[in-house]
Amino acid sequence: MNLIIFPVILYLFSAFFIALALKENEKLSGIACFSFSILSFISVILIGKYLILNERIIYFVGGWKIPIGITLMVDNLSFIFLFILNLLLPLICWFSFSYMEKYLKAGYFYILFSLISAGLNGILISMDFFNIYVFLEISSIASYILVSFGLRIEELEASLKYTILGVIGSAFILIGIGLILGKTGTLNIADFTFIAKNIEKKQLWFILGLFIAGFGFKCALFPFHFWLPDAHSLAPSPVSAILSGIFIKITGFYLLIRIVSNIFIMFPESKVILIGLGLVSMIYGAIMAIEQNDIKRIYAYSSISQMGYCVLSLGIGGYWGYLGAILHFIFHSLSKSLLFLNSGIIEYKYGTTKIEKLNNLVEEMPYISTTGFIGMLSLAGVPPFGCFWSKIIIIIGAIMSHYYGISFICVIVSIITLGYFLKLQRNIFYSKSEGVKTGENNEFNLNLLMPVIILSIFIFLSGIIFSPYYKIWIDKAVKNIESFSYESLMEK
Amino acid sequence: MIIYIIISIMFLIGIYGMMVKKNIIKIIIGMNIIGYAVNLFFVVLGYRNEGIQPILVPGIDIKEFVEKAVNPLPQALVLTSIVIDLSTICFLAALSIRIYEKYGTFDLEKIRRLKG
Repeated sequence: MNLIIFPVILYLFSAFFIALALKENEKLSGIACFSFSILSFISVILIGKYLILNERIIYFVGGWKIPIGITLMVDNLSFIFLFILNLLLPLICWFSFSYMEKYLKAGYFYILFSLISAGLNGILISMDFFNIYVFLEISSIASYILVSFGLRIEELEASLKYTILGVIGSAFILIGIGLILGKTGTLNIADFTFIAKNIEKKQLWFILGLFIAGFGFKCALFPFHFWLPDAHSLAPSPVSAILSGIFIKITGFYLLIRIVSNIFIMFPESKVILIGLGLVSMIYGAIMAIEQNDIKRIYAYSSISQMGYCVLSLGIGGYWGYLGAILHFIFHSLSKSLLFLNSGIIEYKYGTTKIEKLNNLVEEMPYISTTGFIGMLSLAGVPPFGCFWSKIIIIIGAIMSHYYGISFICVIVSIITLGYFLKLQRNIFYSKSEGVKTGENNEFNLNLLMPVIILSIFIFLSGIIFSPYYKIWIDKAVKNIESFSYESLMEK
Repeated sequence: MIIYIIISIMFLIGIYGMMVKKNIIKIIIGMNIIGYAVNLFFVVLGYRNEGIQPILVPGIDIKEFVEKAVNPLPQALVLTSIVIDLSTICFLAALSIRIYEKYGTFDLEKIRRLKG
């Protein structure tokens, strides 16, 4: 079953195709990138069709079996991430058609976009430590460049900060991989879990610590967060939507799930660390978001806070904890991409995202204010929308595992989230004060509007018809986190 | 054993350079040193005293080959890792040139506009 290499190959091909043939023609390179992303989405749907009957898809590169060759695998957990990633990428690519017009050399944007997508898809399908590292670096380097794509002064500085911290995080991960290679002589994850059973526990603590620190950098957990607000708020809006919506989740959160619950199963204690880190970054992000004066900065701090929710829920564990983590990942991805694209439209029309310069947008942009309202209500956890369900499941999970204090803090942070989003909504869209400049460019741009509307319909529907359509997939993924061990692949 | 101590000292020097120094060029050099330390670590993992090259030629005893040959896997990994380091450092050098064009200085203290 070699269907699973298609998401990576299509995007890599798209990158080189655009770089060689089309980069001078911005329109054509955008259309090429969009059609490749649609093809990749179709291949993911086919993977899902195959996964209905089978538990996982394994592909041996070059026919070499597990201890020797590179192995690729998609199971139900990585399928959820693959699906959300490949659902968002075509929409974001569509959005960039109009948004990237004002940038010079937009053809290069699509090359980097394809590379970042190929890297993210590659992380999800590979089952080899070094392979994961290489794909992580492909997507990270593309994202460093994309943050500074506009070449404004602040963007250069944010990209510098982001690159320096990203390199330190990658160095931690690489040292961890080196220690694994030195200790067990293998890089295959299945083989490693098989060998690690017989190794003394205290020799593996250091590796686990390095991995948690490294992926904590990528995931912007509390002590390692300080690159995120600059990088995510100053990047071009489609890039912010990729970075905040999906990049930090796959490079940080997905790999943390794998490390903590599938690979280093012998350390149940590590979950306490995750609870601590998640709790602190949840509170910190919410408190810092209150006093920001830029729309995208508020969204960026909110990302830190919501990633805290995800990691906290992963740390709580149990059926409800894992269910909450997966659901919160899905809804936060959709809502945060929606909000960043939304702020991109505002930036496109008015040239700024500063709160004090924007006023009473509801009359000029009724669609945008509605979709923004849906996204904000969803993130704040207001009943019919997506994040309400995931947050209440996280709270149930905390109560079930007897963490009563944590469930209380979750409620409080959720209320703070609602507070800063309502303040933002009122200031930008509904307050009427005279003398604030509004834009003249009031055209109805379908390229910018359609992705946002599609995303908000997704969020609205996924909240209302909650369970029946995708509950089975989420349940399979939760079962995967709970009981899957790579060791079971060794018999084949 | 001594080589591992040297590697960790190199790594700490690199971290020091990246975290403490305020000059962008010095930060890039610190990053380079971290990269060298990690690459050296990988090379040392595959090293074997008086080892032979890991190519199976006819006429060599399999048992002796397994005992003596160096591990080729870390060497392959180091090549990839060097390329990744190279591209990151190229990008940072280009970025620092852009920053120099706009600010006229490499000093991070003078160009700091973002807070938090």
